[in-house]
Amino acid sequence: MNVLFPRNMPQLVKALGEPGARILAGGTDLLVRLRAQPDAKLATLVSLDRVAALRGVALEKPGTVLRIGAASTHAELLAHPLVRARLPMLAQALATLGSPPIRNMGTLGGNICTASPAGDTLPPLLVLGAELELASASGTRSLPLADFLLGPGRTALQPGEALTAVRVPLPEPSARQHFEKVGRRDALAVAVVSLAALVRTGGKGAITSASLAWGAVAPGIWRCPEAEAALVGRKLTLSALNSAARIASSRVQPISDVRASADYRRSVTGNLLLRLAAL
Amino acid sequence: MKLAFTLNGALVRVDADPDQRAVDLLRELNALDVKEGCGTGECGACSILVDGVHKLSCLLLAAQLHGRELTTAAGLGSVKNPHPIQKAFAEHGAVQCGFCTPGMTIAASALLAANPDPTRDEVRQGLSGNLCRCTGYVKIVDAVRAAARKGDGGEA
Amino acid sequence: MSPKSRVSAAQRPCPQPSVRADALSKATGAERYALDLAPADCLFAGAFRPGAPSGSSPGIAHGRVRGLDTAAALAEPGVLRVLTAADVPGTNLQGIVHKDQPVLCGEVIRHAGDPVALVLAVSAEALRRGLAALRADIEPLPGVFDPAAALKKGAPLVHAQGHAAPKGGNLLLRAVIEKGDARKALRDAPVVVRGEFSTPAQEHAFLETQCGFAQVLPDGVLDMTVSTQAPFRDRFEIGHALGLDPFRIRVRAPYLGGGFGGKDGATVQCLLALAALKAEGRPVRMAWDREESILAGYKRHAVRLRCELGADSDGTLLAYSCRALYDTGAYAHLGGEVMELGMEHAAGPYRVPHTFVEGRCVYTNNPVAGAFRGFGVAQMSPAFEGLMDALAARLGMDPQALRRKNALRTGDTNSSGVTLTSSAHLAECLDALEAHPLWAGREAWREAAPPFIRRGVGVAAVFNGMGYGRGLPDMAIAKLELTGEGDFLVYSAVADMGQGNAAAFATLAAQELNQQPGAVRLLQPDTERCHPSGSSSAGRTTYTFGNALLKACAAMRDKLLSRAALFLLADDIAALELVPGAVRHKATDRMLPLAVLGRALERDDRVCVAEFLMPVAQDPPDTGRGFVIGFPHLFFAYAAHLARIEVDELTGRVRVCDYVCATDGGRVLDRSCFDQQAQGGAAQGIGFALTEDFSTRQGLILTGDLSTCLMPTALDLPDILSLAVEGDEPTGPRGLKGVGEVGLNGPAPALASALEDATGVRLRDFPLAPERVLAALKQRQGRARRKA
Repeated sequence: MNVLFPRNMPQLVKALGEPGARILAGGTDLLVRLRAQPDAKLATLVSLDRVAALRGVALEKPGTVLRIGAASTHAELLAHPLVRARLPMLAQALATLGSPPIRNMGTLGGNICTASPAGDTLPPLLVLGAELELASASGTRSLPLADFLLGPGRTALQPGEALTAVRVPLPEPSARQHFEKVGRRDALAVAVVSLAALVRTGGKGAITSASLAWGAVAPGIWRCPEAEAALVGRKLTLSALNSAARIASSRVQPISDVRASADYRRSVTGNLLLRLAAL
Repeated sequence: MKLAFTLNGALVRVDADPDQRAVDLLRELNALDVKEGCGTGECGACSILVDGVHKLSCLLLAAQLHGRELTTAAGLGSVKNPHPIQKAFAEHGAVQCGFCTPGMTIAASALLAANPDPTRDEVRQGLSGNLCRCTGYVKIVDAVRAAARKGDGGEA
Repeated sequence: MSPKSRVSAAQRPCPQPSVRADALSKATGAERYALDLAPADCLFAGAFRPGAPSGSSPGIAHGRVRGLDTAAALAEPGVLRVLTAADVPGTNLQGIVHKDQPVLCGEVIRHAGDPVALVLAVSAEALRRGLAALRADIEPLPGVFDPAAALKKGAPLVHAQGHAAPKGGNLLLRAVIEKGDARKALRDAPVVVRGEFSTPAQEHAFLETQCGFAQVLPDGVLDMTVSTQAPFRDRFEIGHALGLDPFRIRVRAPYLGGGFGGKDGATVQCLLALAALKAEGRPVRMAWDREESILAGYKRHAVRLRCELGADSDGTLLAYSCRALYDTGAYAHLGGEVMELGMEHAAGPYRVPHTFVEGRCVYTNNPVAGAFRGFGVAQMSPAFEGLMDALAARLGMDPQALRRKNALRTGDTNSSGVTLTSSAHLAECLDALEAHPLWAGREAWREAAPPFIRRGVGVAAVFNGMGYGRGLPDMAIAKLELTGEGDFLVYSAVADMGQGNAAAFATLAAQELNQQPGAVRLLQPDTERCHPSGSSSAGRTTYTFGNALLKACAAMRDKLLSRAALFLLADDIAALELVPGAVRHKATDRMLPLAVLGRALERDDRVCVAEFLMPVAQDPPDTGRGFVIGFPHLFFAYAAHLARIEVDELTGRVRVCDYVCATDGGRVLDRSCFDQQAQGGAAQGIGFALTEDFSTRQGLILTGDLSTCLMPTALDLPDILSLAVEGDEPTGPRGLKGVGEVGLNGPAPALASALEDATGVRLRDFPLAPERVLAALKQRQGRARRKA
């Protein structure tokens, strides 16, 4: 197997045109999967290691959008002051992802393209309304993350195409951001259930919008508009959260696996909302 | 594929399969202090520093090492001239079977480079990608705290 | 050990080593483990285990081998040989006590990790391709995966045929310990509590997987270097399985990267030896990857218990009965012996006049169970301590007072009928916990729980036998050499898997010979250079070999003084003494350097060998029936553990906030090593109790890698505090007892007790997984609501 190291975008796009080429980002998912199931058709790995244009964080659109290079590592983002200050729910998700060396290697783009239902950054990016920038020989296009994720391990990424950047709209500082991941241990854990919540309140504390997304309870990241709707107009109290929790628990249809049963996931899907009362 | 990189301060030129795992190449190069515990990034035994960053050599390909500066535990210090972290591990009882230790000291050195005076919780956070089955971590945390107080990289 | 030697050591204290002898070479990555020593020109051997789930098969745990297609594998470049059962020259049966496990399976696979072929290749890559190209035709057979179902009439037989077919169907061993009349005593007891308990299998998860290398030398000797806990016994196991003369097998055991029981017995040994026999004199290496290690390695026995505890109304224990079911998996390994030790501990570290313990160890098509730190006992402690808590609650007694009241002391008769002539300080361990601020401040701490969090505090008292027990001599033979250069070489004959026994030997020898720590060097076990000294297991290594070594040191001292007398013209040996680096004439201060003595003496005269046999219970009670070996034990380490936990009401997750172990391991030789054992044992016990959850379905492992087999990370454990309750074991080297095992037995009961304190629910099935905790919380809320 060949490994290519493009240095810039034109080289990257060209490399992706090689037959049987596949992107190697941090390698923390791909190389583990290839170890378990070698892929005879895979002829070329295109490493993003040395494409400088894919790294870094920048403010765009006078301070309302953060553009994150897709090959930025989780550790780089976790250390970034703007991510910490303006996207605390993403920072919380990154802090629970894998372990320090995994965060030093894994990239945000990799976490997105792996498209695992348990992908730690996906629920926060979804409720934040992230948009993806995709590049190929035919140019670049933009796609909401929600449209990019098609199912477990499946995305709208086309052959010859690379995810180059993630654009995250910055919520106003008054919006509440919350992320919680339930794993079986506190590091090196795959999410059993995770919840990202973005809640805005108006005058007198009434909720004006609630954006909720759960990880690891459905084939994709799970949304529950009914639970969101149940919160709007009410204050962020235990009773309001209990109503939303009941709705979420009754609607979610998780599976059982080695990490947890469907029943457990169903209970915790609702329960995690209650934590918002303690914020 | 012809590769050139620095391994513990020495320039290495080697012809290797690009998709060979870094951990295998390093061990072929007699860097036997690099251990393999799982091959899937779950244990940290194969930890090395790549340009000063703590990474896992079981999830790196040989080709990715080209042009990089690599440090393994043996590059931190030796029995005759141990690194303060290695000395602290020995003195504070942080070593039992010792199989996780090279990786653990690499993780500790990366942690102290970024945070010279970590709390016990921060040490635990920093070492949370490196599993130890023998110690329960208490004395490892003791050792890293002790090395921090003496100043990482300085004279112990 | 002579009393004199202790006095002399006390009179002239030698500097204590500041670090374990092996610590710095390990800390710098310089230490070489088995695989690191493999020559560069090694061939690669690997086992083909067709029952394992793969892309093309969901996995088979029990099946008939109908055929094996080796053509494609042999056609792979670099693949030299594909060996099958037909190529195995001996009995093709391995096993420590019962020989029932084929090296390569020819007719039947009995668990998903059973090997049917061994591939020999020139490189790791060729080996991988060769293994991938092998095809086996396996006809699935009905399997049995539940030990209770395995005992039913008509259950599929795990060993239906062959040499090992047991008379009792799937029953490997039934045994009983009976003292007094437990049935009557339970009937008459004013208070009786009962319960059913279960604990899961557990993966050892040593960081260094099973590995080694081997070569047939030109003189025909099979020379092996293996990560093994029992190099001397390995020779016999290999010899029996492969039809080789065990004395033509040399096994070397460098430092292990962890063992914990899982490298006691053949792992790679027989396969590697077979590969070497067919390698035409070339060295061969074998290293299991992590998945193979979990698939084919030994586990802790999953156990189910039904127990009853009867007491007087003042809390005096009267009777205990226990029925235990041990799942040994597909092969016996040490199943009967593991169960024996568990049964001996069934009634806890308490005075119980009437006991009835029945154990059944059963074959299933599950992964093979074997030795694991806490050897059968870790499965018992949640039950006996669970019932002690239940009894205290029933009587309205303080649980710690109840434990202290019944705690075994020296001179008591234990539940197997053995009179304890050995040291026993459990009550002092409980005192140490009660005096600790974490106990004293528990009420305030519990009250201060944040929203959605409940806090609880629990205590457990545990113990663990030391040594092999009666019927198997627990013997070690120490060899000590004054080298030609005048320093000392200890021929350590018990493998060091990380517990630090080798370093302890160096410390003991340096102290006993009054030398600087650096003057004693260590040779790791090598069957050609050291003397048989048993396995590294059972908390026996430092005790048994240490005692032998002290005798060898005393002999060496006497020898050196008498030889030096000639040089120093001293006609009274008592006028001489050993000082660092020399023999000194006390009156005149004249010195004879040991370097001179080393050069002067013939090599044969520079060596001292001495043996020690662990004492056993005299006039053993006739309370045990059915045991092959190992009943009863005489020496026990004791401990009391305290856990403070938080339970998340929303997720059921348990977080261990504080943990304290107070341990009676006799006198403490090296405080750091002592704490390492307490902390490490507790850490593994916490993993066992909370997260690890080794699981199978239809014999197929669900937790087959380290992302699902969850040992605790640095973030999952608190700073485990270790308190030493120093007694004095008069038979121990410097008064110590083995302390390696007992720490594992405390966490499961202590955490279950803390969980009950936090939630009001006692869980009796382990692990205390979020799933179970949340369900219990829900049930209790439901009950509370119905009551309201």
